[in-house]
Amino acid sequence: MLFNKRTERYFIWLFFPLALLLPLFLEQNTFYVSKLTSVMIFALFVMSLDYLVGRCGLITLGHAMFYGLGGYLFWMIAPEYEAVNFWVYTFYICMIAAAVALVIGFLVLRTSGIYMIMITLAFAQMTFYFFSDSIEFGGNDGLFIYVKPETSIFGLSFFDLDNPTHFYYLCLLSLFNTLVFFRLLIRSRFGRVVDAIHENPGRTTALGYNIFLFRLMSYVIASALGAYAGYLFTLQYGFVNPSMLAWTTSGSALVMSILGGMGSIYGAVLGTFVYEGLHYSLEHLTEHWLLFMGALIIAMVMLFKNGIAGYMEKLLEKRV
Amino acid sequence: MTTSLFLVQLINGLQYGLLLFLIASGLTLVFGVMGILNLAHGSMYMVGAYLAWYFVEHTGSFGLSAILSAAIALLIGILVERTLIRQLYRRNHLDQVLLTIGMIFVFNALQSLLWGNDPLGVAVPEPLSGAVPLTEVLEYPVYRIFVALLCVAIAALMYFMINKTRLGMLIRAGESNREMVECLGIDIRKLYTIVFAIGVMLAAVAGVAAAPMSSIVPGMGEHILITCFVVVVIGGMGSIKGALVAALLVGLVDTFASVLLPQLSSMMIYILMAFILLLKPQGLFSS
Amino acid sequence: MFKPNRMLTAVAAGLATLSLSTTVAASDEPIKVGMMLPFSGVYGALGDATRNGLKMALQEKAPQLHGRKIEFIEIDTEARPERAPEISSSLLNNSKADFIIGPVHSGVAMGMLKVLRGKETVMIVPNAGAGPVTGPLCAPNVFRTSFSSWQPSYPMGEVALDNGYRKVVTMSWNYGMGKESLDAFEESFTAGGGEIVKKILVPFPKTEFQAYLSEIASINPDAVFVFFAGGGAVKFVKDYDALGLKGKIPLLGAGFLTEGTLEAQGSSAEGIMTTLHYADTLETAENLDFRKSYQAQFGKPSDIYAVQGYDTGLMIASAVNRMGGDVSDHASLIKTLENTTVESPRGAFTFSAAHNPVQNIYLRTVEGGVNKVLYVASPALSDPARGCKL
Repeated sequence: MLFNKRTERYFIWLFFPLALLLPLFLEQNTFYVSKLTSVMIFALFVMSLDYLVGRCGLITLGHAMFYGLGGYLFWMIAPEYEAVNFWVYTFYICMIAAAVALVIGFLVLRTSGIYMIMITLAFAQMTFYFFSDSIEFGGNDGLFIYVKPETSIFGLSFFDLDNPTHFYYLCLLSLFNTLVFFRLLIRSRFGRVVDAIHENPGRTTALGYNIFLFRLMSYVIASALGAYAGYLFTLQYGFVNPSMLAWTTSGSALVMSILGGMGSIYGAVLGTFVYEGLHYSLEHLTEHWLLFMGALIIAMVMLFKNGIAGYMEKLLEKRV
Repeated sequence: MTTSLFLVQLINGLQYGLLLFLIASGLTLVFGVMGILNLAHGSMYMVGAYLAWYFVEHTGSFGLSAILSAAIALLIGILVERTLIRQLYRRNHLDQVLLTIGMIFVFNALQSLLWGNDPLGVAVPEPLSGAVPLTEVLEYPVYRIFVALLCVAIAALMYFMINKTRLGMLIRAGESNREMVECLGIDIRKLYTIVFAIGVMLAAVAGVAAAPMSSIVPGMGEHILITCFVVVVIGGMGSIKGALVAALLVGLVDTFASVLLPQLSSMMIYILMAFILLLKPQGLFSS
Repeated sequence: MFKPNRMLTAVAAGLATLSLSTTVAASDEPIKVGMMLPFSGVYGALGDATRNGLKMALQEKAPQLHGRKIEFIEIDTEARPERAPEISSSLLNNSKADFIIGPVHSGVAMGMLKVLRGKETVMIVPNAGAGPVTGPLCAPNVFRTSFSSWQPSYPMGEVALDNGYRKVVTMSWNYGMGKESLDAFEESFTAGGGEIVKKILVPFPKTEFQAYLSEIASINPDAVFVFFAGGGAVKFVKDYDALGLKGKIPLLGAGFLTEGTLEAQGSSAEGIMTTLHYADTLETAENLDFRKSYQAQFGKPSDIYAVQGYDTGLMIASAVNRMGGDVSDHASLIKTLENTTVESPRGAFTFSAAHNPVQNIYLRTVEGGVNKVLYVASPALSDPARGCKL
C-alpha cells in the first residue's frame, strides 16, 4: 500500500476531501480561500525540506534560496507583458533550479551536520544579498509580476490563475501530487537506498553505493520542488521580494517540519497548518502573540518527541 | 589607501573582531561541551544590552549595572538549563533548534513588554569617555579601546580556566567522554548547568559592553546571531581558540570589504565561510 | 466548477438575508479602520507611534463623526514584505475595512499596492516614502499623509550650498528609500554647483559604521549628508561623535536621522542639521496642543511618526464629517479625500494630484534634545510625481 501507516491514511482521507469541499463554503469570502492557498503552498515547500532533512538527514538552513529563486526566475525568464504557459514555465523553473542545486549540492554535500547547515545558509545569504542589493532586481522593495501565465494543455484550459478558487485547486492538486510523488520515491529502490544512507552511511557505502550521488540527487529533487513552491507563491499575488530568500524563511520552514514530525512527509502539512493556524489566530487575538507562540512551541517540543505526526502515530498505530 | 588609513581600518577590524569573539565564545563553549545548538544566544546578547540600559537608568552607575546584568544573566542561564535544556540532552539537534527558536520568540516578546520598542542608548561611562587622536580628523574613543582590552582579557581568562583549573579539566573531560566523567563520580548535570550559565553570561556581558557604543533595539539579537554562527563555524565548532582566530578574521574581512569591495561587502563573510568550509569542512580548528 | 447542492443554496440564501438586514442598519455599523503596521521587531517603535497618533486624532474628532463608531483592526506586519499581500487581502476581503492604513516599510508598501491598487477601498500610507507609491504606481484609491522620499532630502541640497559646502560625501543604507533620498539631495546640490565626492551605500541593515567613517575622515569633505532612521540612526550618530568627526565635518541629514531617537542619541545629536516636513518647536496652536496631549496620553514625547499617524486620523475624520457619516460611496469618498486640507501639527497641508502631501519642509537643528526649527527651507513643496498619470 502506498500510504503504509494508518495515521497517514486517516490524515489523507480527512484532509484532502475536506480541502476539496472547503471553497464551496467559503465562496462569500475569497480571503480564506487565498489564505488556505498560501498555507498549502508553504506546506509544499516544507514537504520538500522535510524529505531532505527527515529522510536524507541533510539539514539545510538555505532551502529558502530555492523558494526565492522560483519567484525571481519567473520574473527573469518570462516576458513582462505576455501570458506564458504555466506548465512550460514550471518545467523551465524546476530545471534551472535543479541545475543550480546540482552545482551548489556538489559543493555543500562535502560537509555534514552543523557545517552543512551553515554552508547552505552561506549560499542562501549570498543569493539574498545579491537580489536585495541590486536595483535591477527591484532591490529591497521587490518586483511585480503583471501578467499571470495561462494553463492550457493542448488548447484545454482547466485553471484561470486570476481566479482565487481555481488557483486554490491548482495548489491543492500540486500538494497532493507532491505527497504521492514523495511516497512513491520513498518506496522506490532509490528511496530505500536513501533510507539506508540515513540509517548507516558506512554500511551503505560498503554495499557499493555511491552515497554522495544519492544525496546529490535527493538535494536536486527537493530543491526543484522548493523552487516550484516559490513559483506558486509568486504567482498567487504577483509579488516577489527578497524576504522570500531570507534565512528566517528557511528557519520557519524547518520549525514547521520539525513540529509536524520529521521525515513523515505528511507531517509537513500538519506542521504548516498547525503553525500557520496558531500564528493567524494568535495575531488576531493579542498584540503579544509572539509570547504565546514561543511558549506553545516550547511546550510542543517538550510534549511531542517526534512532532505532531509522531504523537498521533503513538495514539493510532497498532502496537506490535 | 594610505598607510594611515590602512592602520586605522586594521584597528577597526580588530576591535570589531574582538567584540564578535566575546559574543561567539559562549556559543562555541556551550556547543563544544554540551553539544547544544543554542539559537537563543543572540537573545541573551540583546537581554544584556537592555539590562545594562535598565540598571544605568535606575542606579546611575555603569559598573554596578554591568555587575547586576551579568548576575541576572547567570540566573537566567541556570533557570533555562534546569527547566528546559536539560530535557533535551537525549534528543537530536533539531529539537534543540525548535526549542531555542521558541525561546527567541519569548525573549523578544518579553523585551517588547518590559522595555517597549523605542531605540535606547546608554551613555559612555564618565571615566572612559575620552578619545585618543589618530589623524587630523579621526579620534579613537577610550571606551572602545577598553572594550577591546576587556575582550582580550576574557579570552585569556577562558584559556586559563579551561587549561589550568579543575573546572576546565572537567569541561575538557566532558567534551571528550561524557560517560567516563560520570563514572568518575562527577555530577555532569551540575557541570552542564555551570557551563550553560557561563555561556549565557558571556553573551550578556557582550551586550552590556556593546550597549554604550551601539543602539539598543528590538531584533538586535537575531542580527548578530548569524554573524556569530559564521564565526563559530569558521573557527570549528567548540574551539575557543578557533573562535578567536575566526572572529578576528571575520572582523578584518568585513571591515576591509566595506571599503575596498562595497558591491560585495554584504556577501563577503559568507563567501569567506563557504570558501573555508570547502577547503576545511570542519572549520579551521576542529577538535 | 462544483455546483453547491440545495442545502448549501439554502444556507447561502439565509446568509444573504442576514447581510441584507445589516445594510439597513448601516449607520449603526462602525467605520472599519484596518492597520497594517509593524508592532514588533526593528520597526516596532514606528508602528506604535503611528497607531498612537491615529487613535488620538479619531478620539479627539469623535464629535465630528456623525455618531459613527470606529472599529480598529490591527495586524502586525512584522515588516515582512512577503506577508503584505496576504494581510492586505485579509483587511480588504475578510474584514471589509473602509480604510486600510499602512505601512511603515517600503517593501511592505509594494506588497500592499499589489493587492490594493485600483480597488475601491482607500489605502492611506502613513509613513513609507517609496517614490513609486505616488509616482509610477499611483492610483486613485491610494493616498499618502507622510512624504515622498524626494521631499525631505531635496531642499537640503540648497541649504548645503547656502552654508558654503561644495564637496559632500553622501551615505545611506543600500535600499530604495535610502537611494532615493541620496538622489534627491544630489539633484538639487549638483544643480547648484556642488560636487558629491563619494556616495557610500551600506548593506541594509548593517550598523557597523566605523570603517566607513574612517574613510570619510580621510576624505575630509565639507559636509556629510546621510539618510538613516531608527536604531541605525542612533548608532550612526553615536559613532560619528565617538570617532571625532562631529564638530569637524558638519553632519546633514533627512530629518529621520533625529526623529524618535534623540533620547537614545543623547548629546551626540546636538547641532545636527536636518530637513523634514515637521519640527518639534513649531509654534502653532495645533502643534502645541498635539504635543501636550500626546505626552499626557502616552507618557513620552511625540515624533514625526506620531504626527503622521495623527494626520491620517484627521484626514479620515474630516472626510467622514463632510460626507455626513456615510463613507460607503467610494468615488465620492476619494473626491472628498482629495480636497482635504489637513490642519496638521506640521502646518496645514493639501494633496497633490498624485495624492502626496504638498507641504513645508523645515530646516531644523538639534538643540537641548529637541528638533528646533530654523526656517522653512522650502514652502509648500510638491513631489514631482515622476511617472504618475493621475
